[in-house]
Amino acid sequence: MENKLMIKLVVGTEAMFFLSLIMAYVYFSLTPGFTPQQADHLDLRSTAIFSIFLFSSSFTFWRAETNFKKGNMTRLKGWLLLTLALGLTFLVGQGTEYARLLQENVSIGSSLFGTSFFTLTGFHGLHVFAGLLVIAIITGLTFAGDYNRSTSSVFTTVGIYWHFVDIVWLLVFGIVYVFPHLHKITG
Amino acid sequence: MTDINLVPEPQESLPDLSVSNDQGILQWISSVDHKQIGILYLWLSVLFLVVAGSEILLVRLQLAIPNNHLLTPEVYNQLFTMHGTTMIFFVAMPAIFGFTTYFVPLMIGANDMAFPRLNAFSFWTTFFGGSLLYFSFIAGGAPDAGWFNYAPLNQYNYSSSPGIDYYCAGLLFAGIGTVTASVNFVVTILYYRVPSMSLKIMPLFVWMILINSFLVLAAFPSLNAALAMLLLDRQLHAHFFSAVGGGSAILWQHLFWLFGHPEVYIVILPIFGIFSEVFPVFSRKPIFGYSMVVGSGIAIALLAFGVWVHHMFATGLGNTVNGFFAASSLLIGVPTGVKIFNWLATMHGGAIRFSVSMLFAIAFLIEFTIGGLSGISFAIVPIDWQLTDTYYVVAHLHFVFIGGTLFGLLSGLFYWFPKMSGRVPDLRLSKWFFWLFVAGFNITFLVQHALGAMGMPRRVYTYPDLPGWGILNLISTIGAFLMAAAVGLLVYILIKALKKGVIATDDPWDANTLEWTTTSPPGLKNFDRIIPVKSARPFRDYKRPADADWKTNPADSITAKPNSHGK
Amino acid sequence: MPDHLFLNISGSSIFDAASPQAVRIRQLMIEFIIAATAILLLVAVLTTYISVKYRSKRQQEEPKQIIGNRTLELWMVGVPLALVTLFFFRSMATMNAVLPDPAGQHPDVIITGHQWFWEAVYPGTTVSTANEIHLPVGKKLLLQLDAADVIHDWWVPALGGKMDMIPGRNNYLWVTIDRPGIYEGACSEFCGQQHAWMRIRVVAQLPPDYAQWLNREAAAARMPQDALARSGAALFMESTCGSCHRVRGTTAAGIAGPDLTHFGSRITMLTGMLENDSANLNHWLTDPQQVKPGAHMPRFIFAKDSIRSLTTYLEQLK
Repeated sequence: MENKLMIKLVVGTEAMFFLSLIMAYVYFSLTPGFTPQQADHLDLRSTAIFSIFLFSSSFTFWRAETNFKKGNMTRLKGWLLLTLALGLTFLVGQGTEYARLLQENVSIGSSLFGTSFFTLTGFHGLHVFAGLLVIAIITGLTFAGDYNRSTSSVFTTVGIYWHFVDIVWLLVFGIVYVFPHLHKITG
Repeated sequence: MTDINLVPEPQESLPDLSVSNDQGILQWISSVDHKQIGILYLWLSVLFLVVAGSEILLVRLQLAIPNNHLLTPEVYNQLFTMHGTTMIFFVAMPAIFGFTTYFVPLMIGANDMAFPRLNAFSFWTTFFGGSLLYFSFIAGGAPDAGWFNYAPLNQYNYSSSPGIDYYCAGLLFAGIGTVTASVNFVVTILYYRVPSMSLKIMPLFVWMILINSFLVLAAFPSLNAALAMLLLDRQLHAHFFSAVGGGSAILWQHLFWLFGHPEVYIVILPIFGIFSEVFPVFSRKPIFGYSMVVGSGIAIALLAFGVWVHHMFATGLGNTVNGFFAASSLLIGVPTGVKIFNWLATMHGGAIRFSVSMLFAIAFLIEFTIGGLSGISFAIVPIDWQLTDTYYVVAHLHFVFIGGTLFGLLSGLFYWFPKMSGRVPDLRLSKWFFWLFVAGFNITFLVQHALGAMGMPRRVYTYPDLPGWGILNLISTIGAFLMAAAVGLLVYILIKALKKGVIATDDPWDANTLEWTTTSPPGLKNFDRIIPVKSARPFRDYKRPADADWKTNPADSITAKPNSHGK
Repeated sequence: MPDHLFLNISGSSIFDAASPQAVRIRQLMIEFIIAATAILLLVAVLTTYISVKYRSKRQQEEPKQIIGNRTLELWMVGVPLALVTLFFFRSMATMNAVLPDPAGQHPDVIITGHQWFWEAVYPGTTVSTANEIHLPVGKKLLLQLDAADVIHDWWVPALGGKMDMIPGRNNYLWVTIDRPGIYEGACSEFCGQQHAWMRIRVVAQLPPDYAQWLNREAAAARMPQDALARSGAALFMESTCGSCHRVRGTTAAGIAGPDLTHFGSRITMLTGMLENDSANLNHWLTDPQQVKPGAHMPRFIFAKDSIRSLTTYLEQLK
């Protein structure tokens, strides 16, 4: 019980952190430093696909949780591994997006857009990475025979963090990728 | 938390079972016991107090006469920057967290914090942050752009020494320690209270910590974001704060003060909590207006995020913006100041005992009023336009930080020292310390109000020989050395008490809350049994069953549960 | 030395108000001091009185355990609330009177803060100068405040409030100077190593005197008057001094350092740090870092005679 409150507080404080980063991004996007051409560098389609991977990992983790509560350890392990795979795929996707941008000379130091983009998505990626690390650890412990009592709060707790990371991405993806394109469509 | 029989603690080491009651250094640095961690925080605070104090003594020596050449501007700027940064992050906050982590579990009848290992992690991370900050002195130079480190001066092309990078890294680590500690406090307070201790009858110190912890969780991320962005600017050539790259110098100020203003409430709310314990005990009366004290604390926490621009009235944001934040800043002065009257009303009609703790509390009433009034003057925008960034601000901030925070910590120290150490400090010497410190403090800082009004800006390594500037600065310097002497005396008093002070009883002050029901110091396990808790003053109820609070003022306490153990 | 510059050096406190802006602020300040003193006295008297009257006596019964009083609590909140509301309205009125929106007005002088000197340009004229800023009395002036590098702040207490100079934006101050004199001030935002020696001197003059000054200042630099000065001038031009310092009428056109066109007519040098005389100038040119450590002027290893000639030339730039 305490663990759930603890992780909710952590999520709360991290939400404030992302709020600061998002506000800086939005603020800069309204200055002349950001040109519409810069948003063209972003690959909306492939990032959308990778985002689906990330959002699915929330679903798979939720399945892991429910199976844990029911005591289905084998299914639990399966869903955990799937979560890891999906999360890793997202990171790889982000990595290829970064690599492509760097090739096109969009870097953290190249322009205001580069600065804000890489910082916001970078910190999100860092949080994904940290989450995957934790999920990897509890997966390993599950395989080692831990968590054989369905009263443990570990999965719920980690789940709250993991879902948070996804919700942040929903917001960030919407603001960074979707919104500029919407503008173009609606003129 | 009751009559259950519990396994007694080992009085001697049991090597075969790997159980040791050794109290050597290895045990201390690996401890997860909240009391030991609390003491570690307090010693950290004392260490950095001496360091930051020495820094400012050098500064005051340089400022003692006009056109002085004792220190180069390069050295001076590092000293004043480190003084401010250290005092806030490595003296005030660790001291507050030290008392918090020591006494919150005791006051709520718990045997430790919710997450003991996280507690230790928080302390050591803070310690690491402080070490990292100070490492800068030997790694190319300490930060030298002031404790709030404005852009673009903090950018690499204006500050190429690594000091500012160490500032960022050190504070990031300290921030992680602070945030994790606050998470721990909230969970502990909400889940580990004795079941009969509802929020309505929780000790006010614990209330203030609860409110304060939310303030920390909401405010520190802004600082962390700013520090991260600055590191990216400096190391990876990002453009957050450099106008040349399209960034915004003002963005730094917004992010910093969104943290910085709540931060000042972070270092004063727990102090209000300490005083709300001290005044009732030493006046032999309950706190006047318990719910008002809690309510004003919550009001402050909420308003704290709506006032930050009052640090930026002179940045040209326009009169509409200025007007809004002037209103909010004036408003926040009300819940902050009203408590002074709560405490005075607590004393009124009481039976006041002048322990050293109470002396600091009484002095605080006046000193904090001075600091609060000078603070309110800044909410009056045109006055701010004259006095911001002058020695008047320096006077204001020291009256609230020292006259408020430090006096509160000292009051708490003299109140709780017998409980923590099992010893009583020498009363006569302690009173000498009080008078010497109060005298030194007022001598140092009262004149600084005048210096500011006379035109002396802050953060200047020297000043021209204008009429009155020299003598007032000299007076201020003399006061500073008096304060230093007093602090030296304090360290002597504490060490002497620890070595051969009179043994303290469990309840030397005839106090009201649960920490006084255990031994001085408490054993490793705080409580085997806990007295009934049916009001905000459970120990007093226990000692005076005929006049128990829950009998005389049932509206402010809970009624006895059917299966509570009575007498 | 021009005599009208010595009319009076004003005290530099906020109470030596020499402009209607400063007077209004002082008025508000006094109102505040009265209210604050009353509150402080109330607290101090109550504290002392209560501490003395309710001292614990031996064998005393426990006093009456009062937990609160709704009426008193309401007064405790209501009175401060009323007071701050009153001050809010007073402060809004003063704020709008002292610093109304400049709204498209043309500035009378554009002052740019540099590390660690002030650059002043007078729109509508060719005048560019540094550090000692002349202004006419009696006219409502608009100061535009810019920054060349880091954040600086312009503050002359006798003339009113302060305003930051922030790179990338223009800030403004209104000031109407009541009487002639020299008004001291200081940069009031920490701007690096020599923040302490970024003093401000505003030389306020009666309009005819000001017009005269402006005319002289607009003129190109005086030609060197003697051989020593001539060799100093030549040295100045060939030693890259001109890449940082402007001397109008010559090839020296740099803007990184203070404009030196009429340097000789300034009373102080190094932004208020020292008297402007040959000895100080000599020391400065010999080793700037010894005089104002951290200053961005590099050390030119000149021979002693060269320094003498440079000094002579510069002092003649009146």
